[in-house]
Amino acid sequence: MTIASAMTFHPRPEAGEATPWAFPAPTRSVLPNGLTVLRCDRPGQKLVAVQLLLDAPLADEPAGLDGVATILARAFNEGTATLTAEEFAGELERAGATLDAHADHMVLTLSLDVPASRLERGLRLLADAVSTPALPADEIERLVANRLDEIVHELANPSRRAAFALYGELFPADDRISRPRAGTADTVKGIDRAAVADFYAAHVRPATATAVIVGDFSAVDFDAVLADTLGAWTGTPAEPSTAAPVTADDSGRVIIVDRPGSVQTQVLIGRVGPDRHDDTWAAQVLGTYCLGGTLTSRLDRVLREEKGYTYGVRAFAQPLRSAADGSGRAMLAISGSVDTESTAPALADTWTILRDLAAGGLTDEERDIAVQNLVGVAPLRYETAGAVCSTLADQVEQGLPDDYQAQVYRRLAETDTAEATAAVVAAFPPDRLVTVLVGDAAAIAGPLKDLGIGEVTVVSA
Amino acid sequence: MADQAPSSTNGFVISEHTLANGLRVVLSEDHLTPVAAVCLWYDVGSRHEVAGRTGLAHLFEHLMFQGSASVPGNGHFELVQGAGGSLNGTTSFERTNYFETMPAHQVELALWLEADRMGSLLTALDLTGLDNQRAVVKNERRQRYDNVPYGTAFERLVAMAFPEGHPYHHTPIGSMADLDAATLADAQDFFRTYYAPNNAVLAVVGDIDPEQTLAWVEKYFGSIPSHDGKRPPRDGVAVDRSAGARMSEHLVEEVPSRALMAAYLLPQDGTREADAADLALTILGSGESSRFYSRLVRRDRSAVTAGFGLLRLSGAPSLGWLDAKTSGESAIEDVAAAIDEELARFAAEGPTPEELERAQAQIEREWLDRLDTVGGRADELCRYAVLFGDPKLLNRALDKVLDVTAEEVRAVAARHLTPENRAVLTYEPLAEDEAEDAADNDAENADEDVNA
Repeated sequence: MTIASAMTFHPRPEAGEATPWAFPAPTRSVLPNGLTVLRCDRPGQKLVAVQLLLDAPLADEPAGLDGVATILARAFNEGTATLTAEEFAGELERAGATLDAHADHMVLTLSLDVPASRLERGLRLLADAVSTPALPADEIERLVANRLDEIVHELANPSRRAAFALYGELFPADDRISRPRAGTADTVKGIDRAAVADFYAAHVRPATATAVIVGDFSAVDFDAVLADTLGAWTGTPAEPSTAAPVTADDSGRVIIVDRPGSVQTQVLIGRVGPDRHDDTWAAQVLGTYCLGGTLTSRLDRVLREEKGYTYGVRAFAQPLRSAADGSGRAMLAISGSVDTESTAPALADTWTILRDLAAGGLTDEERDIAVQNLVGVAPLRYETAGAVCSTLADQVEQGLPDDYQAQVYRRLAETDTAEATAAVVAAFPPDRLVTVLVGDAAAIAGPLKDLGIGEVTVVSA
Repeated sequence: MADQAPSSTNGFVISEHTLANGLRVVLSEDHLTPVAAVCLWYDVGSRHEVAGRTGLAHLFEHLMFQGSASVPGNGHFELVQGAGGSLNGTTSFERTNYFETMPAHQVELALWLEADRMGSLLTALDLTGLDNQRAVVKNERRQRYDNVPYGTAFERLVAMAFPEGHPYHHTPIGSMADLDAATLADAQDFFRTYYAPNNAVLAVVGDIDPEQTLAWVEKYFGSIPSHDGKRPPRDGVAVDRSAGARMSEHLVEEVPSRALMAAYLLPQDGTREADAADLALTILGSGESSRFYSRLVRRDRSAVTAGFGLLRLSGAPSLGWLDAKTSGESAIEDVAAAIDEELARFAAEGPTPEELERAQAQIEREWLDRLDTVGGRADELCRYAVLFGDPKLLNRALDKVLDVTAEEVRAVAARHLTPENRAVLTYEPLAEDEAEDAADNDAENADEDVNA
């Protein structure tokens, strides 16, 4: 073997000239049946994404029937006036489509993905599902049984278990938000066809619904297809629902959900804070990214890349319930898992990072890199129709203007280091964080008491 | 008209080039969005690892993000993200890939970064970085496999499907003991053996000027020396199952429900039979109109999920992956019997025309989904170039699936979806009082208990 010469090194290249890019602007219209439609033509996007948002908030579920919205969402896939459940599933698949539905605090969303060449077939099936669902008693009975099976799996999953515990801790017990979105065993077992049909009748109508449709529309006469499918759905008028304000108890404390034998501890640290209606949202996004948005953010720089305690820890903000009057809130959280023996050291480091951040603030370099990333990735992030559709649907759900995301990019670029620091320090005050740990209590509880992050309570899983 | 024939994915313009040092380059231009993907496949995966060093390919993938001659520490991540790009790397049985999606005007930076670590990683690699990433990977293993219910099912089934000594016997994550044993010399040797331009394919896809891009590739990668020290993997096509080899395992563990999982040996990726197998598994176990769902979930109500999917492998038999979780108190025996009945019926009768049409439409949508991003396209081009020698196969891949006949689908099922051709793993939850006993034991002892 010959000794090869080493490679020739070159200086790091400079960027070329950027091609202007803007978040796509949708066209908004209202069909004669009252359905609001946001459409966004994206030439070349061969998979069309559709989200249909129904004004069926979880807070409106009848007392003791948590989960009825979820069962309704799943029942939309179980047949129509003209198709049995199996026939409906077959027709969807024959169109190369998928139809998923889930119920969240603000809206019940049906999501259709379909090749552009079969958009009409996909929209027809979606329209039939939402306007003439069969809601067959036997399939609903099965969906309830399957949901009960699913709960057992959720409770065995450390990250789901942590989320349930945190929501239960933060929010008042009489706020629906404190309880699992899809219901608990106690509530789900009481759900039957009548309950699902009542919830459907009370909350599903075109007048309070919005369809967001994104993709390549060149293969169809869009308006004609829309009029003939979702436009043919009928229903009584109604006022849109209003969201109650969100309140939370974020006094610092630690809850250990005991999971004996765990080789890792699932960590979820959270509280509530401003949502997208707040003027500080962009600054909070920026500061939160600097804290824990990626592998080179402050948390992972220490917990992963220096100490090796974790595969990765992230900080994020997730809107919960939003209202135009600003009474809504977002969940602000730090999440990850660490090996059992590193639990206390990892939490100690986390609080050191938070205290250092409050004392010293972010650097200009951190701010600049974060802005370059958050703004720069937009064309990548919104390459597909599905990604554009999801963001537009989030805006509708949260009562935001259609150009909101475009404005966020402008606001991010304008946010300076001091504003980003102020927002993230306000978002994660070291003494106002609720820490949930799902792990082996006997192995991790002892040293936590000395960390000064709040009283420690152990609950059994 | 809406109900026209399936949309075709034909027509991506693809060009191929080879540098003097052996680096193969694939370019595909598309100006729909101002983004471009850089994807680099090294022809090395866990199948190349040797006994006692499982997990080394994946651990090494992590080390590729720890800096190189011109890039300090985490600079690779910082520079790409600071340029508005996204990036990652993954390791499978058969290959290791690294990819960046960039705003189009930043694509040169990604090429410079990939070239720097291909040519000079060893100047930056040290024991501190190795020890740190070893701890990170061990936590990745805990998070994804050891701390979740059924988390080790994949490696247990693979280990049965491909017996001891087979290059696919162990999975890419490796064992804790082997991760602990890996030395700096191992990592250096691994790099010198496998990380060479003539053992890699580079794809650049998206809003690019192909001529300019090729000039940059030549500039940054062209001087990296090639070498021929690669040790090819052991043969994986032949699976020698000696009589008495263990083909089933029953676990009593802290899991939420009973489960039946199985791995079938199926035709290698790249063959027409693999496409037929993909269709068979889609019809049997993908989606709510599939046979398993109709029978087990809808009709018998014995399962809450019942999926069947294809893990395509090119250097060994592909794996048909069956996963059923029981509903309520249903017995595994009943689920297993129903599955075998459905398999026997399918092997005898084959799919209906409607079933075949649905499965082809589903596979078409999945394919469109994968090719919808420049990153997805770049990865597929690398896959066809590395595993099958020709990136242009991408343009015909979907047509080949749509060309498969019902009889071929039936035949592949009849031949391969048999009880003799599978490894089976079943789970039984611990009874309440057993769970309390197990809770008193420490984590190290838990494995022995459940395997007893």
